[in-house]
Amino acid sequence: MRPLLIVCGSAFAVSLAVLALTVASGPQRPEAEAMSLRVTAAAAGRGSTDQRVARLQTAVRAQPADAEGLVALGSALLQRARETGDASDYLRAERAIDDALARDRSNAGAYTARGALRLARHDFRGALRDGLRARRLAPEVVKSFGVVVDANVELGRYEAAGQALQRMIDLKPNLDAYARVSYVRELHGDRPGARQALALALAAGGEAPENVAYVQTLQGNLELARGRQAVARRAYRAALVRAPRYVPARVGLARTDAAAGRLREAIARLRSIVARLPLPGYVVLLGETELAAGRSVAARRTFDLVRVQQRLLARAGFNSDVELAIFEADHGDRNRGLALARAAWRSAPSVRSADALGWALTRAGPPRQGLAWGRRALRLGSRDASFLYHAGMSARAAGERRLSASLLRRALRADPHFSALHVGRARRALNAL
Amino acid sequence: MNDRRRQTLMRIVGDRSRSPARMRRAACGATLAVALLLALLAPAGAQAHPLGNFTVNRLSIVSVSTDRVDVRWILDQAEIPTFQERGRRAADILAAKRDEALRGLRLHIDDKLAALRPTSPGRISFPAGQGGLRTTRVDLVLTARVRDASRVTLRDTTFGDRLGWRSIIAAAGDGTATRSSLPATEPTRRLRSYPVTLLDSPADQRVITLTVGPGDNRLVAPRADGSGLMSTGNRVNDGFAGLFGDAAAGEGTLILLLLAAFGWGALHALSPGHGKAMVATYLVGARGTARHAVMLGATVTVTHTIGVFALGIVTLALSQYLLPEDLYPWLNLIAGLLVLLVGAIVLRARIRTSPHHHHGHDHSQGDDHSPGHDHSHGDDHSHGHDHQDSGRHHHHAPQSLRPRALLAAGAAAGLIPCPSALVVLLGAIAQHEIALGLLLIIVFSLGLAATLTALGIAVVCARGLSGRWRPTGRAAHAIAAAPAISAVLIVALGCLLTARAVPAII
Repeated sequence: MRPLLIVCGSAFAVSLAVLALTVASGPQRPEAEAMSLRVTAAAAGRGSTDQRVARLQTAVRAQPADAEGLVALGSALLQRARETGDASDYLRAERAIDDALARDRSNAGAYTARGALRLARHDFRGALRDGLRARRLAPEVVKSFGVVVDANVELGRYEAAGQALQRMIDLKPNLDAYARVSYVRELHGDRPGARQALALALAAGGEAPENVAYVQTLQGNLELARGRQAVARRAYRAALVRAPRYVPARVGLARTDAAAGRLREAIARLRSIVARLPLPGYVVLLGETELAAGRSVAARRTFDLVRVQQRLLARAGFNSDVELAIFEADHGDRNRGLALARAAWRSAPSVRSADALGWALTRAGPPRQGLAWGRRALRLGSRDASFLYHAGMSARAAGERRLSASLLRRALRADPHFSALHVGRARRALNAL
Repeated sequence: MNDRRRQTLMRIVGDRSRSPARMRRAACGATLAVALLLALLAPAGAQAHPLGNFTVNRLSIVSVSTDRVDVRWILDQAEIPTFQERGRRAADILAAKRDEALRGLRLHIDDKLAALRPTSPGRISFPAGQGGLRTTRVDLVLTARVRDASRVTLRDTTFGDRLGWRSIIAAAGDGTATRSSLPATEPTRRLRSYPVTLLDSPADQRVITLTVGPGDNRLVAPRADGSGLMSTGNRVNDGFAGLFGDAAAGEGTLILLLLAAFGWGALHALSPGHGKAMVATYLVGARGTARHAVMLGATVTVTHTIGVFALGIVTLALSQYLLPEDLYPWLNLIAGLLVLLVGAIVLRARIRTSPHHHHGHDHSQGDDHSPGHDHSHGDDHSHGHDHQDSGRHHHHAPQSLRPRALLAAGAAAGLIPCPSALVVLLGAIAQHEIALGLLLIIVFSLGLAATLTALGIAVVCARGLSGRWRPTGRAAHAIAAAPAISAVLIVALGCLLTARAVPAII
């Protein structure tokens, strides 16, 4: 009896121990990582970037200690994440970059790549640190300047951004540099200059089709704001020829439809976009277009989706999105909108954040404060129709009728179709003044 | 409200990630095997969606048999697309997914388009995801009735270009030898966990080509890491066999599970709360022979298996009429409460009897089977009715050892399913692995029977040697202490299970 017990007991103990070990070493780690970061897999929209990634993966497999190879793989993965919206590639890129830095603490390319990754994650201060470090390590390599410029723009340091951009242009006037020139000029209200810069960017050409498609989409946006819908449409279509399924260009086509009053087509396009890549900005656009078309039930459903996304984003640690702040101010919980906008301003004190904060303040509380922030958003001379509209409505709420009328008029002149929903509101407000 | 729910989910996640250490510390307790099994089978849904909140992930498993081509199609849809379908009935969603699969899976047999048909309605469930949201999981089997196909191509165009994992693998079919253009393994455990490794990209397999000839269920496929071919035999893509494949893909956990189930069953037979050992030893000790012991063991195995199976079949049958996602949370709760109840009952009995345990000549086990006692409640007259309320209804052992009586005793011992076995089954059901649950129960019952038989034989032998056997010294103490410990553990486990089940219902 006793031997039997012992045999039984020890057999069981062994099986338990083995089981415990397998559980302990089981697949817990990836789950934890997935918790900390939203991870997405993509199966679409891959062209040459995909091949490049595969090639670099082979190279790294052959020479895992080569920091340069790891950096190149990290950069290619970042590019693929931009193209497909696949956030799991950000995770891969991060590993590649960390590996590279572990092997070579002074690799400028690795810091540049990490800066780009931090920009994508809205860690602008970290991105700036990395960009500056990369620039110190390799002052003649132009790539790090892009990170420095972008981070400075997002942090509202337009002087520093301008200086870095000037040096970038002097060093190597390529697509990356010109595209940034265009954006900075636009922020300062220089639209012809912005268009010119985009033309130069296109002439310079890019490494990946997506880069060119990106610039073509920006062109489309500028033309659409000028009311040249046919030209805008051509630009978007050209982008889609370069990079089929390039989502920002498809969004541009939807906005062109909306601007031309074809709300039904715009909604159909946006629905198919949102079905594939439901990023909050696109979903808000869909909801507002539905509202403009009088489909308030559908819009309510759509806005529910935005709220769910916000909940998921908050869980993943993102609490400061400008777009979501404006969405809450317009369609949701105004106090939550204010909190989001304040957080956005803290992490990225740019004119964009100032605009969001101003609008959130106007909607949630004292419009006079809102107006002050709205003016701050316009301090560079921006002709962004949304900025002007927000400031104009804030002025109206604050009782500044003359200022309000002038701002709203400027908004409608800057882009008579800037939003299917808000254009009507702007007109009504203007008529009532 | 949502915040509260989220916290609850987080806590559950935290519990689970801490569990291995806790498990190892307490590995001495027999009941903990349940918890361990549950930890392995625990619903993975309480975590964040591993692949991002708006992915639509699909996996096709193709197998070619002599008379048909089967495609098992699995869909794992993350929180956002699931939310986008809110308000629709589960049956409608399932129908829509089935239509999407039928439209998007293009099967060519010998260069001719072949029609796939669903063989059953398929299964849909909505595992919990991130932020208090649900995800969608669909499992379908589609079949094309074609004889002696030789070249089979499957193209997956489901859900257009939606972001997500897209994988096709091959499985062996009946009576064929298949050569596949894609590997036969995949790393996600059937779309349950997604690896993010630096040197691999998310799967984007859209076409598989199979070359098929007559054979013995053999499959030759490239290795997943690209290092040549691998060959597998006798792996069929449904029922238990498919399950074996699943578990084998999970790095041999099935073997460990079975081992644990067997071991636990073996040890469980010693726990007096269910009286099986007692019945066996009593019967055999009285007049039986080794043959009787074996017979009894076999009977207990069969009846116990049948008992639990019956319950499983009821569950399965219910799941045909009820939506599984409505059923599982309740089953979980019932399982939890059941375990709690049993634990409480056993504990109560133990508390009542415990003072007696310290007397050298205690009655907990050894007494019952002392030869010469032909009264079925052997200990009643000396110690009152302490044991009667502890679930030992199978004491009505016959006094002579006619085969029929023996069978009846075995049946009585086995028919009342051990609640913990039930828990394993229900856990498996919650994990949508009903077949695995049933398999575990068989093995559990086998373990149970092994101990009973061994015990019986040991007693027969011991009687042969000394005429009489009583547990003494440490063995007696171990046996005496085991019930109390296991009762406490059962209660703890019941609390845990109930606590886990509640958030899914409210």
